[in-house]
Amino acid sequence: MSSGAAELLPSGGGALEFLDFGGDVVARSPLQLFWRRFRQDRVALVSLAFIVFLVVVAIAAPLVVSLLGLTGPYVQNLNLTDSFGSPLGPSLAHPFGVDQLGEDVMSRVIYGARVSLEVGVIGTGIATVIGVVVGMCAGFYRGWVDTVLSRFMDIVLSIPILLLGIGLGAACGVHGCVKGLVQPGLASIIFIICIATWPYIGRIVRGLVLSMREREFVEASRALGASNLRIMFREILPNLAAPIIVYSSLLIPTNILLEAALSFLGVGIRPPTASWGNMIAQAAPIFNTAWWFMVFPGLALLLTVLAFNLLGDGLQDALNPRNAR
Amino acid sequence: MRSIRTVAAAALVTALALLLAACGSSSSSGSSSSAGASSPLSTGGYKSPLTVALTGGKRGGTLQVLQEIDFEHLDPGIAYFSVDYAVVFATQRPLYSQKPDSTEPTPDMAEGPPEISNGAKTVTVHLKEGIHFSPPVNREVTSEDVAYAIERGANPDVANPYIQSYFKSIEGMPAATGGPIKGIETPNKHEIVFHLTEPKGQIVADALVLPLTAAVPKSYAEKFDKNKPSNYAAFQVATGPYMLKNDAQGKVLGIGYVPGKSATLVRNPNWNPKTDYRPAYLNEIDVKIGGTSAVLGRQVLEGTNVVQNESTVAQSVVRLAAEKFKSQMEISPGAGSHYIALDNKVGPFKNIDLRKAVWAALDRTAMDKARGGELVTNVATHFIYPTINGFEQAGGLKGPQGPRFDFNAYPEGNMKVAEKYMKLAGYPSGKYTGNETVTMVGASGDPFEEDSQILEQTLKNLGFTVKYTAVEASTMFAKYCNVPKEEITVCPSVAWIADFADPQTVLNITFNGTTITPTGNVNWSQTNIPKINAAMAAAENVVGKEARGKAWAKIDEELVESATAIPFDWDKQANIEGSDIEGVGDIWNVGEWDYSYTSLK
Repeated sequence: MSSGAAELLPSGGGALEFLDFGGDVVARSPLQLFWRRFRQDRVALVSLAFIVFLVVVAIAAPLVVSLLGLTGPYVQNLNLTDSFGSPLGPSLAHPFGVDQLGEDVMSRVIYGARVSLEVGVIGTGIATVIGVVVGMCAGFYRGWVDTVLSRFMDIVLSIPILLLGIGLGAACGVHGCVKGLVQPGLASIIFIICIATWPYIGRIVRGLVLSMREREFVEASRALGASNLRIMFREILPNLAAPIIVYSSLLIPTNILLEAALSFLGVGIRPPTASWGNMIAQAAPIFNTAWWFMVFPGLALLLTVLAFNLLGDGLQDALNPRNAR
Repeated sequence: MRSIRTVAAAALVTALALLLAACGSSSSSGSSSSAGASSPLSTGGYKSPLTVALTGGKRGGTLQVLQEIDFEHLDPGIAYFSVDYAVVFATQRPLYSQKPDSTEPTPDMAEGPPEISNGAKTVTVHLKEGIHFSPPVNREVTSEDVAYAIERGANPDVANPYIQSYFKSIEGMPAATGGPIKGIETPNKHEIVFHLTEPKGQIVADALVLPLTAAVPKSYAEKFDKNKPSNYAAFQVATGPYMLKNDAQGKVLGIGYVPGKSATLVRNPNWNPKTDYRPAYLNEIDVKIGGTSAVLGRQVLEGTNVVQNESTVAQSVVRLAAEKFKSQMEISPGAGSHYIALDNKVGPFKNIDLRKAVWAALDRTAMDKARGGELVTNVATHFIYPTINGFEQAGGLKGPQGPRFDFNAYPEGNMKVAEKYMKLAGYPSGKYTGNETVTMVGASGDPFEEDSQILEQTLKNLGFTVKYTAVEASTMFAKYCNVPKEEITVCPSVAWIADFADPQTVLNITFNGTTITPTGNVNWSQTNIPKINAAMAAAENVVGKEARGKAWAKIDEELVESATAIPFDWDKQANIEGSDIEGVGDIWNVGEWDYSYTSLK
């Protein structure tokens, strides 16, 4: 079973023999069909290219910074501020200007991409795995399992995540929590993001599984003696690939924004580690005199979120053409 | 004494004159560039409280005041914040007060200087005649009103924040709860005598400049002081040239002061200018509360009849004023100091050589630049700051000199000297290889975070592992830096400003081991060196300005030699006014506008 259209095409002979296509008919795999549709979406393609570029830049950040002749993201140089301590603006040596400590903004924006992508991808990945497993269990087993898991998802969804982040930041900021096990930083941010977002995937998966578990191919598999786990993960899960990919891709920008918001509020990634959110927070009080300090990380955040959103839309259109715009 | 937000101050005209002379200034005659570039009192050509004219202002008019934050307390028995003081000192007259350009106590309600006698165990003050309370009290002020003002400060429902720091030696004060105090005697209507249990007459006399000594009429205020907490502020009467607008019953709240919105000061009809040195040019002062400091600053610079009253003016506004409105900015030196508290008791900085290594490596000029640069800072080289008695004796701008102080000789930091002390501390590589993590808690916001990050980088360069957290300033103090058991290794954002210009108010509570408390502790570095404690105990009893300056300067030197904390900034405060204002700030109140001297052009 596939959600694509390949199975509608003749594999040779049969009732459609009377049709003359005037040549060999080549069957396309679902992936081929997806790519055929996706590549026609230029906006999505550009978004994909931007994201690939961003990933490359993030992974090779030290090399990129060095090649561009920039100073490192943590190199402080107060000589690059004026006599009032206000940072100097863009120049050839510092294309995005510097911040209040004379640190190069471009190099910090580049390193900030690492944080955003780590949080976006890792956080979304973990949230997706949790959401898929819980959602499948709830949808497949139904009954009390569904009730318990669904109510649990409702409870988690009702947690005000920004307040949770602020609370954890305040409570665990200095000495950590749970005997120092919970410490502020990237891991905590990813943890908070996972808590906040897995139920969304879980609910969607649950709904899909509820309808899919009644389909013929599941009945057939069950009749052949397949175990529940096999049915869930070998029969149903592959059919959920498209919606999972689409929702995950749309979850990434949400998570990037959540990290930025938490960092902006001072409970996420803390300076000196570069994060677009904390850069924007630091830039806010001096926007009048140092616009570049806010504009460039803000632009990076905006473009990244936009790219992931547009890519998500493109993936949705390509994987689910019936819902195409 | 207070941390950064609160203020009072006083010092010696002689000290200021000495400082000015040392810097080659042309005296306080009104020149806008009286202090040389290297002077701690230099204001870069901007006017300052030391240089503005105090006489000849135009009478009349209404001054608009914009301020972002609300007042904390307008009760003279509680007020302890520079922004509050701007109103309190326009409406109240303590026994002594300071003129805008001086930190020397000037008799206010008092007729002359305090008389210290009986081996510094008795202080006598004579009051002027003809000073009256504002309506609805109207009657003349007596010494009993001053006695009550001080006594009510010990009332837990008033809870004056500094009474036990300076007046504890008054007989009966430690056990006082608001009732009569045995050691305060009023032989007649115009004389008050303080009997002390210790020879601390000098510090008690100096502390009479604080607003706690502003008269409060017992028969009128007692009913308000019985409330928990006292609501006398809402019905207060004035003795100064202005009063908070009130109704016939004396109610101020909602009329002359609307919390979070406004305050209105009008002339006190019972004020007799013959008894006061203040000119009081303005007819009315209207304070509007709220908005954003940076926005208010720009409005003021482009406005008329208006000044901005803030504890700190936004850096962007200072820059704008410097670029386009130079004549509308006043710079006030002597606005306190900032230093880094290193925990002397727990963690790696128990080791004096590690403390010296950090001091040597730190780029204090960078720290100051992050705070706004030379216009509003001087690199600190010791703890007693400019305008405080003892500053010059403690080394002045350069600080203590000699090989013992080599770690203090490089404001921009010197890694070679730092390495020397790392080796002395037992780290032959010049880098810290111990396993203790430095826990650093700083205040959030600009410029505290920048300072913290510069320090963090310095510590990392020396091989320390640093765990840095930024929290709200109030949280930083209340939950961490003021609580020794939290064992915060480094508090990088602490600051201090004297209550008046005696050096004891700068050094005693902040570095005396006997003052360490489980909560609310402001001996942030937990300095507890018996030799220094003993020196402080002796210096507390020294009588005479010169002698006190010398005694406390010696203690300052010992504190530097022990590297108990790292001073990095002596503040200068910027203040902003409209184009048609002859603003006069108070040097003793971090430059806050003095409404009794400010006038319209």
